[in-house]
Amino acid sequence: MSATRSDRPLVAASAPDRLGSEGWRRLRRIVGNWQGLTGLILVLLFFASALFAPVLAPYDPNALDIPARLSGPSWLHFAGTDQLGRDTFSRVLHGGRIALYVAAIGVSTSLAIGLLLGMLAGYGARWLDGLLLLLFDVIRSFPTIVIALAAVALLGPSLNLVLTIIIVTSIPSYARLVRTSTMALRNTEFIIAERSLGVGLGRILWRHILPNVVGPMFILAAMDVPVVVTVEAGLSFLGLGVLPPTASWGSILNEGYLLIRQTPWPIIAGGIPLILATLGFTFLGEALRDILDPRLGQRR
Amino acid sequence: MTALLQIRNLDVTFDTARGQVKALRGVSFDVPRGKIVGVVGESGSGKSTVIWAITRLLSANGRIAGGEIRFDGRNLLALTEDEMRAFRGQQASIVFQDPMTSQIPVKSYLQQMLDILYRRKDRRAEKIGHGVAMLRRVGIPDPDQRINQFPHQFSGGMRQRAGIAMALLMNPQLLIADEPTTALDVTMEAQIIHLLRKLQAELQTTILLVSHNLGLIAELCDEIVVMYAGEVMERGDIRSVFARPAHPYTQALIECDPARILERSRRLPTIRGDLQDLPAAPAGCVFASRCPHAFDRCWSEKPAAHVLSDGHDARCHLLDASGVGRGKPPLAAHAGTPSATTNPGSPTRSADPLISVRDLCVSLPGPGGLKALLPGRSAPMIDVLLDVNLDLHVGETLGLVGESGSGKTTLGRTILGLVRARSGSVKLRGRELIGLSEGQFRPLRGNMAMMFQDPIGSLSPRQSVRSLVLEPFDVHRPPGIDRDAMADKLADMVNLPRDLLSRYPHQLSGGQARRVGVARALALEPDLIIADEPTAGLDVSVQGEVLNLMCRLQVEHSLSYLIISHNLPVVRHVSDRLAIMYLGRIVEQGDCEAIFRQPAHPYTEALVKGIPRPDPEQRRILVSIEGEVPSVARRPSGCEFHTRCPYAQDRCRRELPGETVLADGRHVRCHFPLMD
Repeated sequence: MSATRSDRPLVAASAPDRLGSEGWRRLRRIVGNWQGLTGLILVLLFFASALFAPVLAPYDPNALDIPARLSGPSWLHFAGTDQLGRDTFSRVLHGGRIALYVAAIGVSTSLAIGLLLGMLAGYGARWLDGLLLLLFDVIRSFPTIVIALAAVALLGPSLNLVLTIIIVTSIPSYARLVRTSTMALRNTEFIIAERSLGVGLGRILWRHILPNVVGPMFILAAMDVPVVVTVEAGLSFLGLGVLPPTASWGSILNEGYLLIRQTPWPIIAGGIPLILATLGFTFLGEALRDILDPRLGQRR
Repeated sequence: MTALLQIRNLDVTFDTARGQVKALRGVSFDVPRGKIVGVVGESGSGKSTVIWAITRLLSANGRIAGGEIRFDGRNLLALTEDEMRAFRGQQASIVFQDPMTSQIPVKSYLQQMLDILYRRKDRRAEKIGHGVAMLRRVGIPDPDQRINQFPHQFSGGMRQRAGIAMALLMNPQLLIADEPTTALDVTMEAQIIHLLRKLQAELQTTILLVSHNLGLIAELCDEIVVMYAGEVMERGDIRSVFARPAHPYTQALIECDPARILERSRRLPTIRGDLQDLPAAPAGCVFASRCPHAFDRCWSEKPAAHVLSDGHDARCHLLDASGVGRGKPPLAAHAGTPSATTNPGSPTRSADPLISVRDLCVSLPGPGGLKALLPGRSAPMIDVLLDVNLDLHVGETLGLVGESGSGKTTLGRTILGLVRARSGSVKLRGRELIGLSEGQFRPLRGNMAMMFQDPIGSLSPRQSVRSLVLEPFDVHRPPGIDRDAMADKLADMVNLPRDLLSRYPHQLSGGQARRVGVARALALEPDLIIADEPTAGLDVSVQGEVLNLMCRLQVEHSLSYLIISHNLPVVRHVSDRLAIMYLGRIVEQGDCEAIFRQPAHPYTEALVKGIPRPDPEQRRILVSIEGEVPSVARRPSGCEFHTRCPYAQDRCRRELPGETVLADGRHVRCHFPLMD
């Protein structure tokens, strides 16, 4: 073993190095592209503000200051206050934590389950495909709100219930996308070549199908983040999710909507982070897709 | 009279991420009126770029950097975009390589033709009449009905005929044909050659034919232009170029064509090295790095065109009057050819075959339409393979030949258990394979490997070459494998540079990807390799290299090959025995040389005689068979070949011939074999 290594000092020495430089090269490609860079900065900002909200927030998000209610932006309150005099900036920061929680867990879980079910439907037996499609169609045929109302009526309102509903209702869109791309791949020559080697189902799905279908999923996931955040907001508005006085971007927007005749600031303060997070995830998603596909990388 | 098309010092550059690539450098040639000029070259030689430059259809990053294109005395480069649009289709039109993708699938031929004829002021009825006449002219039966059909209702050969008809519709002065037969089967190719020749004689059209296929060029053209890496190497009268090729590249190209070599040899000539991607023009001759005669001057100085005594010219320093290498013996790259006529891997044929196929039938569900979706009904089954009998012995190479749709790929996949058989048996060393579950089959897969048709497309695109060649070990897990050493060993075995191991499939050339496929197939040291079109998509020079590699490995590892191909000249050089398939049946099977010497089945005869040879002195009236391969869904009655057979008699139409064994041990399915 050591003898063969010393025969090939070049290969042995450069192999780990090459792996490292590969990672750096990818990162540099994200940063080098303006979209990727903007996306990365926005997403990092989102994460940082959510994680460090207790440190960054100048006030307790739930502290009432009735005399200062409905004030505009000032040095005391960067984004003004709401009808109870709570500091909107602090509430936005804390609301970001809920948004992050829902977005991160909701999107990643539904992405993972959707990928698995989609690949099974696309590659597996016909009956399995039919069964899974039926399941997806049943889920999609109910409006999210109706499912949510039914679930809350049975189990009582909670954030985790909202999260579960979000996951269940967004699995079908991931799974359907993966299923279509998997079906297009299953009869390609390279998959038949793998089968002729005796490669088993798991390895074909994991190593040969997954890397080829995952690219578009990043885009879908990135665009799903704002949807998930607004669904949570909507459910919270109906009293099905986050309960007052907990701050979430959705609840800030909803309260701001009721106050739109008095002051525009809560809507602006609640809307801007939502827009920035959406943009950030979309840009990053597109940059990631390009970088993960070696063929796209070559063309640039 | 001046030539119809004159190209002078044409330079084309492409702006790419890696800087400017000069795709054409100083290309000059003429296309005289009423002649057929062939442009030949391997992939990357810039032959297609010439077409796109003439028609100003270069991709967006390409631009004509210099030179002149004159058509009928007019400078095409000075025309405005509108004038150019009038030029295209009216004065010059193109026949494309792939008739499937170059015709509009949602428009009938009539609509497509009316679109072309929009410039004419004729009445609609006249235009339709014109279209019908043109379809009749290219040999489409019932043109007045078929003009209302859509491209998918035409078969491949018919579609290409319709493509030619549409290109000729405006009666252009120049017809540009881009690889017009590459997507077609052998018998179709012969028919299209025949058609182009006939049309050219009738209409006196000038044709610019671009192809990598020397045989096609030799059969059709009056003049030839040989291109390499964006430059013209040699040009002139077809006969003098083929008889006395002056440039080493032309010599090598002609020598590499397997159709040229009539005696069987186990080693095919090759051109060493690869066509390099040239970002900048080298100071010297572009071919120097691959040329066996290259000397100092070739690296430093660009050769000028030398006019030879017979009037054709070539760009090579060897031809210089003071030249060092004048009169050098022709290329020696095929050294060892004569000695190789004896088969080095001569199989000591054991009595027990390695693979034995008996009465194998395979049916696949056909398109059932809406009814098939109803419960209780299933799509009609289509017989893809019928009563196939085949033996393959240890160390032997069996060539399986047939046109597309003959079931040859299905046969290969059925042997490997990738397609389910309806009945019959496949035995590996006496062990029945039909009916095994995938779990029972898996241990046997180490023993049998397959090489797939598309060299790049059969490699998983997101895996590095290293993990691709090591994958068989991950699946079958033989003990005691040093992965690093094994990857290097496999790369060395197939002459793949080791630094390519870290690349991805799309970064490889066709020949390199093919070698990765060979390495994967050989990784577990199997006894049998089923190679599906091993040379498809490869240039002639690389083709020889891959076949030589396969032959060498056969001797070293005592492999048996089942080589599936439609390319008879290639199969001939590597096979011990041949099996010819037609519509899912093997119609003739026997010793390779004997079959080539005297085919017994009329279909085999048509295939053997339909090969275009790269020899302009021997243009044959092709005894091509008429018509096209029928669909397996609608098998003709009796002998399935009778619809195309020139010798068919009543008995053939009624009665299916059984398998008869001829005196020399050949198996034939024909009532009236051509030899007794």
